Amino acid sequence: MLKRKRWIFAILAILPTLAIFAYVRLYPIADTLRLSLFKWDILSKNKPFVGLANFRELMGDHLFIDALVNTTIIAFGVLILTIPMALVIAALIFHRTRSRMAGFYETAIFIPHVVSLVPAAMAWKWIFDARLGPLNALLTFFGIPAQSWLFDPVLSVICIIVLCSWQALGYAVLIYIVGFKNLPVSLYEAAKLDGASGPQSFWYLSIPMLKPITLYVSVVTLVSGFNVYAQAFVLASDAQGAPGRQVRVLVLDMLENSFRNYRVGYAASEAVVLLVIVLGLTLIQFSTLRERGKA
Amino acid sequence: MTTNPVNYIEPTTEELSEGVRLRRKKRVMNFAIDVFLIVVSILMLLPLVFLVANAFKTPAEMLSWPPTIIPRDPTIANFAAVLGETPLLRWIANSIAFAVMSTIAIVATSAIAGYIFGKFRFRTLNILFALFLATAIVPFEVYMIPLYFQAKSLGILNSVWGLLLGYLVMSFGIFLIRQNVIHSIPDELLEAARIDGAGEFWIFLHIVLPLLRGALGALAVLAFFQAWTAFAWPMIVTTTRTSYTIEVGLALFQTGFTVDLGRLSAASATVLIPSILLFVILRRNFVQGVASTGLKE
Amino acid sequence: MKNRSAKTRISTRALLMSAAFGAALLSGASAVSAETLTVWSGYPEMAPFYEHVAQGMKAAYPKLEVKVEAIALREHEKRVALGLTGGQDGTTVIELSGSTATRYLENDLLPEAPADISTFVKDPKNFDKFFSDTAGKGGKIYGVPLFRGQGALYYNTDMFKAAGLTAPPKTMEDYSAYAEKLTKRDASGKATVSGWSMRLSGGGQGIAEKFWINMHQYGGAILAPAGDGKWKPNFANEAGRKALKQYLTNIFTTKTVSPEMPADADAFERGQTAMFIRESWVIGDIAKKAPDLKYATAPLPKGSIALPTNLYVAGKGADAKAGWEFAKAANSPENLVWLLQNVGWLPNRSGVDYSAVTSKQPAFAAFVDYPKGYEFFTLPSIGPIEEILTRVAAQLVVAFGDASMAGDDAKIDAFLKKASDEVNTILTREGLGAK
Repeated sequence: MLKRKRWIFAILAILPTLAIFAYVRLYPIADTLRLSLFKWDILSKNKPFVGLANFRELMGDHLFIDALVNTTIIAFGVLILTIPMALVIAALIFHRTRSRMAGFYETAIFIPHVVSLVPAAMAWKWIFDARLGPLNALLTFFGIPAQSWLFDPVLSVICIIVLCSWQALGYAVLIYIVGFKNLPVSLYEAAKLDGASGPQSFWYLSIPMLKPITLYVSVVTLVSGFNVYAQAFVLASDAQGAPGRQVRVLVLDMLENSFRNYRVGYAASEAVVLLVIVLGLTLIQFSTLRERGKA
Repeated sequence: MTTNPVNYIEPTTEELSEGVRLRRKKRVMNFAIDVFLIVVSILMLLPLVFLVANAFKTPAEMLSWPPTIIPRDPTIANFAAVLGETPLLRWIANSIAFAVMSTIAIVATSAIAGYIFGKFRFRTLNILFALFLATAIVPFEVYMIPLYFQAKSLGILNSVWGLLLGYLVMSFGIFLIRQNVIHSIPDELLEAARIDGAGEFWIFLHIVLPLLRGALGALAVLAFFQAWTAFAWPMIVTTTRTSYTIEVGLALFQTGFTVDLGRLSAASATVLIPSILLFVILRRNFVQGVASTGLKE
Repeated sequence: MKNRSAKTRISTRALLMSAAFGAALLSGASAVSAETLTVWSGYPEMAPFYEHVAQGMKAAYPKLEVKVEAIALREHEKRVALGLTGGQDGTTVIELSGSTATRYLENDLLPEAPADISTFVKDPKNFDKFFSDTAGKGGKIYGVPLFRGQGALYYNTDMFKAAGLTAPPKTMEDYSAYAEKLTKRDASGKATVSGWSMRLSGGGQGIAEKFWINMHQYGGAILAPAGDGKWKPNFANEAGRKALKQYLTNIFTTKTVSPEMPADADAFERGQTAMFIRESWVIGDIAKKAPDLKYATAPLPKGSIALPTNLYVAGKGADAKAGWEFAKAANSPENLVWLLQNVGWLPNRSGVDYSAVTSKQPAFAAFVDYPKGYEFFTLPSIGPIEEILTRVAAQLVVAFGDASMAGDDAKIDAFLKKASDEVNTILTREGLGAK
């Protein structure tokens, strides 16, 4: 009787949230899967079922392939740049936890993560500017020839990686600091007694013990890397005075297909590919961690 | 990690004990670490400093080579122009309204769902929770196009309600609160209240919520900044100048025929400064919120 | 497409117009309710014009409320697509280029114009057949022509003088030769002021459109009609090769321009490029942003793009009627002269005396007094036009970065073939390809 009453309360209480959740999350996810199988053009009245035709077309669509390659490079580039840097910086900040400056370090490194994307990207756009930017000024000062950062096919991708890493770093550092705080102090004291230096215990103790944190941060960084959009949009957006090379990324290609070419079904099939990639990456990362944990 | 070799310059004094030597070594190392961290911190802040500096430059200085860091003859003309030409304040108001409402919605749904999932162990609920968790990994970008059409059929495009539709629930928030409920609210407390004849709703309101204050505060800050920095969704939902959020307004500000970097920077700086201030004020909450995201398992 | 013609007609037209207004006033007075119109425009600089038109309608429609929402073109096109398919509220006057509107007409998403408007548009004294055709479909009229995007060469006369050039370039070969002479370089030989600014980077279809304009001078086209409503690419040929080769020569051989150099109106206004091809709105932009700039305009060697933009009305009842009146009022001689003078877009209506503006601003001459036999082209009115141009643009950006292509005709041909095949694939997919 009492249990039944509690059950009713639980269900009634969860119902509104559940309804919202179903409407704004489950339904659109299911709808994405459905639309990907249709030739669903906004403007045309008939929207026929086409099976896997959208996916077949994707395989031969060089803009999509281009977007996929760019996005993958950016996501992994950010990962490779961010994780080691975050680990080292977090270790150092943790080491200096008791110093008065610790709060400043944390804040300074974290601020890029909370500032709005667009103003931040604007700032970088100026830094990278081929003619007016301080980066090229610095290079020429050291006698290195100026580069056209935002126009070169390789450099423009690097610019996006740098911008994304700049924003992702703070988050990773913060999580690592929490990780360090949770490590058992006794282990380090024991290591010290055995004559291990700071760098040694960092390498042989901290890194292995922080593996779950590394995994978590990597998943978050990779997934957000695959969703990169605003950065690419702003760095090469449509301003007509020498804007920059458009680095095509998945979300950009998706939005272009649905809102410029009005091919919503086709865009949905791209979304499904994005979903499969993200799910795949998450699974791979969790399973590798589990295996290593056992070994 | 730079560890400076220890100085052996003063070995003359015999009393120089091992302890003093070690302390000095430590001090030198700490100094090196501080220098390194200060350099990193400055590098991280530098782009934002540039942005604010650019906002005060005249068009001529903006185009000068080599670029200047500190404006030679600072002007507020850019700010005046931006405020005169764009509904910047309106955009900021839209962003704030959107972020505040999203925060309220997320905190409310997370608090209730997190509590229920944390303390009521029924099979139906476990299945539901698994469902919430499973969709947490699906990026918003994957399903935002169908969601857009839902917003359209509700007739709420170009309004703060349309923006809100994408930011009503947060899977992570539910997870976060559930963890907190499990760890910080003892079953005995709830049972005692029930024995005293308290209703379930009364318990939630008067016992559970106060205990979750810290976690909810952290979640609120996270939710606020999530909405404040949202880009892709506002970009497709709003198409009228008056309904833009600040992010969209700024992004489209530069897609006219010509771009004025000084004015653009002024607009950006206007937005940047309050959000940085807000962050510095709420830093503790924020750090706690973000930190708890790393505490999985 | 003649803009200067008999002045005598204007007065009668003005009379007719005011008579129409009078009639509208009467009908407006009988219907007490206030009309509300929303004007959707894809050109922010057009907003003052629409407000000016609304102001002028106050006499006939004292309660008329007009809300002008002018945003960037891309965003505008998006909201039109989504608004029209989802049944938007209220009456909207929509500004659309003829080619974009066709898709909506094909799917019955825009209503036909009422009889009186139709008569007004079809009257050859009002609009050249070219314009009334793009405002309609299958003999019916759906929109009211307003203005067009038409290109001409802008050149900095001070820089021309300094380089010893007295007249604008006449052939495409001249363009390259002039560009070399006009480019200013630093000590290392790197260009600091481009001789001829070309669209080489950025997102979207603009790159392909500009390429098309250049290629048009050689007789090529991205898309050419293949009869029966079908289309075919027409650039994997000599014209395409010449046009692309000219780009590549300027970028890699003579190095008169590079992708990262400031480009377009922005650069021209700041003296960072000596010449470039663009529509007439630049005249208004220069007047606003660089009033001291010494420049002139010249027609292109063979012809130009002419992209007519029309006003369409979506809505019902009294509001819709006001909407059509608004579209018509926008075409009153007074308003059109205001448009040319204050905004700079070229009005399409004939029989209006624009000389008050063109005589004061000689830069307009290249747009209205073009030589005999000047050939215009326009974007085809087909659904996937934007997708095709965007994809061609993406290909071109790659080519513009490929130095090895500059002297290699075979490579250029292979590239054009590939781009052309891609266009054919899209056309076939949409059932628009020629067999």
